[in-house]
Amino acid sequence: MSWQAVVTAMLPEHWLLGGIVALLLLEIANPRARGAFAFALIATGAAALSALWLHASGYANTPFPGQYAVGPTACLAKFLLLAFAVPVLLLSREEFGESRYYALILSSLYGACLLVSAASFITLFLGLEILSLPVYALVLIGSERPEGAEAALKYLVLGGTATATFLVGTSLLYGATGTLDIEAIGKALPTATSPAPTGVALIVAALFLKAAIVPMHTWAPDAYEAASVPVTAYMAVIVKAAVLLAALQLFGSTAIPAQASALVALLPLASMVWGNIAAIGQQSFQRMIAYSSIAHAGYLFFAFLGAAPDRSRTILFYLAAYGSMTLLAFTALPGGGEAAAQDRLHSFRGLFHRRPLAALAVAAAMFSLAGLPPLPGFIAKFLIFRNVVAAGHTAWAVAGLFASYLGLYLYLRVIQIMFMQSPDAAIAPSRARRLAWVAAAICLLPAVAIAIVPGWLLDRI
Amino acid sequence: MLDALLWLPLAGLFGLALLPRESDRGTRVLTFAVMSLQLVLAGWLFVKFDGALPGLQFATRLPWIRAWGVEYHVGLDGFNVALVALTAFLGPLVVVGAAPAVRHDSKLFHATLLFMQFAMLGTLLAQDLFVFYVFWEAMLIPMFLIIGIWGGERRIYATLKFVLYTAFGSIVMLAALIYLVYSLPQSGAAPSFAFEYLYRHPPPVGAQRWLFAAFAVSFAIKVPIVPLHTWLPDAHVEAPTAGSVILAGVLLKMGTYGFMKLGIPLFPAAAWYFRPAIMALAVISLLYGACLALVQTDIKKIIAYSSISHLGYVMLGLASLSLLGIQGAMVQMVSHGLISGGLFLMIGMIYARCHTRALSDYGGLARLMPRYSVYFMILTLAAIGLPTTSGFTGEFLVLMGAFDAAWPWFQQGHVAPLVLSASAVLGVVLGAWYMLWFVERYLFGPPKVPHQPLTDLGRREQWVLAAIVAAVFAIGLYPQPLLGRTELAARQYQATLRSGWAPPSGAAQEAPR
Repeated sequence: MSWQAVVTAMLPEHWLLGGIVALLLLEIANPRARGAFAFALIATGAAALSALWLHASGYANTPFPGQYAVGPTACLAKFLLLAFAVPVLLLSREEFGESRYYALILSSLYGACLLVSAASFITLFLGLEILSLPVYALVLIGSERPEGAEAALKYLVLGGTATATFLVGTSLLYGATGTLDIEAIGKALPTATSPAPTGVALIVAALFLKAAIVPMHTWAPDAYEAASVPVTAYMAVIVKAAVLLAALQLFGSTAIPAQASALVALLPLASMVWGNIAAIGQQSFQRMIAYSSIAHAGYLFFAFLGAAPDRSRTILFYLAAYGSMTLLAFTALPGGGEAAAQDRLHSFRGLFHRRPLAALAVAAAMFSLAGLPPLPGFIAKFLIFRNVVAAGHTAWAVAGLFASYLGLYLYLRVIQIMFMQSPDAAIAPSRARRLAWVAAAICLLPAVAIAIVPGWLLDRI
Repeated sequence: MLDALLWLPLAGLFGLALLPRESDRGTRVLTFAVMSLQLVLAGWLFVKFDGALPGLQFATRLPWIRAWGVEYHVGLDGFNVALVALTAFLGPLVVVGAAPAVRHDSKLFHATLLFMQFAMLGTLLAQDLFVFYVFWEAMLIPMFLIIGIWGGERRIYATLKFVLYTAFGSIVMLAALIYLVYSLPQSGAAPSFAFEYLYRHPPPVGAQRWLFAAFAVSFAIKVPIVPLHTWLPDAHVEAPTAGSVILAGVLLKMGTYGFMKLGIPLFPAAAWYFRPAIMALAVISLLYGACLALVQTDIKKIIAYSSISHLGYVMLGLASLSLLGIQGAMVQMVSHGLISGGLFLMIGMIYARCHTRALSDYGGLARLMPRYSVYFMILTLAAIGLPTTSGFTGEFLVLMGAFDAAWPWFQQGHVAPLVLSASAVLGVVLGAWYMLWFVERYLFGPPKVPHQPLTDLGRREQWVLAAIVAAVFAIGLYPQPLLGRTELAARQYQATLRSGWAPPSGAAQEAPR
């Protein structure tokens, strides 16, 4: 372990850590200081750029052998997570000025970065926990709703259950194979004896819980609805992405045996169906996004049915499309006023006549999430189902496609509310969130790239 | 040139985005200019298109998504040349004739029109299955907005029904498409979405039936073939005039074009297998649509149901396997686009004046609006298939083809095809009945209108209708430019469908014609 390797390989993490320390010092020095937002933005932006630089230069190293390893794919995943954090931070400017909020976001991002480069179960576990713990607090921060505490507690308890399940699974695997190294366990698994499959099943269950896969999804709608807008965006995009990347880290190159594939596919399929159906009746935008993200987690886990070499590419590509479009929808949410009232889909009525650009942004996001071409969501969905079919799981792919058809209505409904109904006179005209247009521009960039030059992007992932 | 034609509307869309929001006039002028330029380009391409050459003309082929074997591949051939011309022809007419009735959000409306044009041309020109699908689905978005924002009272119900119906077909097609390209290819071959590659490598017969059925569901919803037609009356009635014109004029043809260009050539054996079913459903659509048109009390619904009936001819011609029938189907597609587009425009004009579509509110328009009545009468007669109009050319060729195909079967002792063909003739009678009865109540008799005084057609409206009527007569009197350009494609199509006929082993039986 040389110190240069530690400095270079963990550069994005160092930027985040620097940001956290600076924010905490700022909090101690002057609790009412103004600069927290700028600090957080600079630290995250620099971390994202350094991750991109590491990816572009093809850097690969193991500063802590057996625990922490980086390669171009890990760096790209980090870049994706950190780049998505930038619009989230921009959206936060509206509600949050205090440094503790930004310190929590940066800590959570630190955990996300850690788990992406994890080489052992220990690091992965640390990453998952550092990722989740600040989010429990974030749900509560800035929540003006009475349900906030209940939702946060629910999230905390179920998150704790996931943690415990994950740990039990890990210890079973350790007992069966005698190692905690991810790669070594992956090699040992096909021949491993009895507690190993149980361990794998428990770990999968824990990941499903964290990613809100049916039937372990019940925490998500409550938490998403109770949290403030940027925190919901953070959970829907970054936490979800990080959990999927953790699953990728663990199972990315494992060949899934034929008899297990049904088990792996069944719950994600149920998620797609139920997420898409349950979202239809929702009156709260954030709650609707929660169900939509439950469905999208289902599509993402479907990627594991595809052939192993394609999985990381598929998931990164899908996350880029899903994340950018979900965030784009959040940038259009109105600022100011009572959060709970603004969140009602009802307040979207006739949005096109009040804020046409915001309505067009939401419309693009909804069409994309529904998977209609030429928007990026279609290409991403096509990639997933193509891989599933190419791997021979045609029946699952067909079922998944029909499940995605069920999702069409819920997204069309939002567009219908915005474009085809006249504004409700009782609701005061809303205004755009501060800095929302910068965030929207950042989200549109990958979306346009995916829609126009998907081939170019695919060659580079 | 062809790329310019395809991308021009999108360029116009960006131009539109730069205009100020309040500039209604600027929006209209710009859209009209773009559409007219497009018509000029399409006209030039149509003239330059050489019907004697096989294969694609003016083609462009560029790699798009290498990893998936997807290419941006567009080209003009005998299958799409007429429909491209029709699409470009209707574009400016829609802007002039129907758009002024749009009272709010005119900028968004014109933007969706341009996007619609882009998507429709893309669907027609695409020579790559993936690109085709992208454009095919992209057509949904503008139509959803056009019906939903500027439609009538039950517009939201109608537009959701339209989109959910069509998208269901699309999902089925998507599943089949992925399976076709990624699961079936021979070992070692890189996956390719190119039509020409897929034509040369038809999947095994067992898989063909499933795949054809999946594609056929998608296309049949679009056509629509009974019993998948229930979205159409709602969509047509609630859509604004521009939406109805585009829907009837071009969008419905996408279904028949899909059968002609993809469904049948990609899966010839399955097409052969399902051919009796297609013929039967085509005749059922033809008769059922006509019967429903007979009993409607809403003038827009009459034309909507007549579309189902008229597209039944197209499907019958496509399934007939005789050159006459196939060419008739191609002519009928263009002809129906012009006639029903014109009729919907005219209904839009009267609706803009009287704000009612109930047939019982009208009567004796011939005295109140003589010019309107003349145009309406011409288009009605064309819809019935009076000689010298395009409707005659199309229907006559289709019926000839159907009998041509049925006769050899009859000689072998099969009565059903002949009965079907004879029933199709009954459709002509029904068609004359419902249209003439409609016109009798609408144009003649004692004058009855909800609003007096009623202004006759303005100059702009007349120009639009004159253009359509001129095209209708041109095809009726001198169909050769159209037939000459599509003949080779029709022959190719006929040969493909025939290749799907696998003779029973050992039998030296001649293939039925």
